[in-house]
Amino acid sequence: MNTSLTNIIKKWVPEKSKVIDFGCGDGSLLKDLIDEKNIRGYGVEIDHNKIQECILKGISVIEKDIDEGIQDFESCNFDVAVMASSIQCLKEPHLALRKMLKLSKQCIVTLPNLGFWKCRLDLAQGRMPVTPNLPSSWYETKNLHLCTIKDFETLCFEEGFIINERFFLNDKGAKSAMASAFPNTFASEGIYLIAKK
Amino acid sequence: MKTKTELIKFNQGLDLESGARLNTFDLMVETYGELNKDKDNAILVCHAFSGNHHAAGKSSDSEALGWWDEVIGSGKAIDTDKFFVVCSNNLGGCSGSSGPLSLNPETNELYGKDFPLVSVTDWVNSQKLLSDYLGISKWHMVAGGSLGGMQALQWAISYPNKLKKAGIFATATKSSTQNIAMNEVGREAIRKDKNFMDGDYLNHNVKPKSGLKTARMLGHITYSSEDIMDQKFGRKFQDIKSKIEGTVDYEVENYLQYKGEKFSDTFDANSYILMTKAMDGYDASFSSNGSLEEVMKRIKAKLLVVGFDSDWLYPPKRSKEIQLAAMNVDVECSLVVLKGEQGHDSFLFASDRYVSIIKGFLDSK
Repeated sequence: MNTSLTNIIKKWVPEKSKVIDFGCGDGSLLKDLIDEKNIRGYGVEIDHNKIQECILKGISVIEKDIDEGIQDFESCNFDVAVMASSIQCLKEPHLALRKMLKLSKQCIVTLPNLGFWKCRLDLAQGRMPVTPNLPSSWYETKNLHLCTIKDFETLCFEEGFIINERFFLNDKGAKSAMASAFPNTFASEGIYLIAKK
Repeated sequence: MKTKTELIKFNQGLDLESGARLNTFDLMVETYGELNKDKDNAILVCHAFSGNHHAAGKSSDSEALGWWDEVIGSGKAIDTDKFFVVCSNNLGGCSGSSGPLSLNPETNELYGKDFPLVSVTDWVNSQKLLSDYLGISKWHMVAGGSLGGMQALQWAISYPNKLKKAGIFATATKSSTQNIAMNEVGREAIRKDKNFMDGDYLNHNVKPKSGLKTARMLGHITYSSEDIMDQKFGRKFQDIKSKIEGTVDYEVENYLQYKGEKFSDTFDANSYILMTKAMDGYDASFSSNGSLEEVMKRIKAKLLVVGFDSDWLYPPKRSKEIQLAAMNVDVECSLVVLKGEQGHDSFLFASDRYVSIIKGFLDSK
């Protein structure tokens, strides 16, 4: 995860909160949040090597396929649930969001924007987009449900989620005036803090 | 690996959960490696139902390797070059600690069937006295599988400040109805053996070997799994020369006959009943009217819970229950589900991932 993304997520996570990170990778984000914000953190991961790294870091990690059991944690009362760059890989992203907002007061979701101008250019040339945050070819990608910034915000509206914060990054992973002003075209990645009404 | 076996006497006695009291008791203890100056490199391993204090290595050519030898030793997952590893035979067992085969100091007769009922919590309390004796104020880890895993969990609940980490493998917060049912079949086989004599067989110089053997044969089926038995034995016929019993047709029958026979030579029937009763009776949430969260919120240790996908005796869903309760009450806890090649017994074997996960957990902050 790039540093701007990590910094933004850190800003949004309250001190001493209880956090679950779906698709936590090697546990770096949770480790930072534990060290800097004194959170109680849990990660969910399926990749064996990444689980091993979490354990080495002393991060609590649960081996699980996110598609199969977000609802298992409903009793745990989280303050924040994080789903970084994974929502588009799930079988039913809208249901996953609903479930996450059942077990947690707020959700941080990051997603690649298919409306990014370089993606549009690739498509205009008749090819599937390959960009820094959509690096895989169509036959290798794990992404099942790519969407644009507009699509995602429409889904939030339809589902009755409030967008408390949003932030956009360009394809260098940095903040930019163009990405903030016209995210659907110039943001390569969107970061959202959402909650239920 | 420096190994030491010792019988330790505890004259302070122990009040048991059943209300009974042992005024004095002995623990047979084996240790591996060396305790460092700060006494902070100690690991307690707790044995499962039929195990004992002999967890690793062997002290003579005739002795069998310890039950967790694949995991404990120089350079292994629990590295005896780094850690001082302690394992004691549980009270009520039959390998040297006070149990049905010991003399009752009050009467100077063998305890036999009169050895009091012991529980997982009693074992943990006796091991706490052992840690005081050894001068260990905080274990680096307490770990075990199956009935040993229950002890590791109970350690974290009973003595939150006395351990840094707990390794809880192939186990559950309580035995399931099916676990109890299986154990009851084993006990019934023993009780109905004509040599059992209502548990008084020692005084008649006999042994309910046939009952013990049947109980163990059933046990071995539950420790394995359908797939594993298929792979290991298939429907292969036992060759005539190595048949243990004339009635044997298939390899699997011969295997069960052999294992059962061996077990019935060494294990004590009253211990079998005591140990399985302790397993059936364990319920971590008992003291809080069934609220696991209520008892688990005391835990300060970091937990590593491991389940094995081929284990149908204590399947991964039971491991998940421990993890979920821990998460509900903000206890640090990881859950890993491993591909077990050996059913319930998988926790005994050093598969690659299991080893690296235990190592990683031990090395983590």
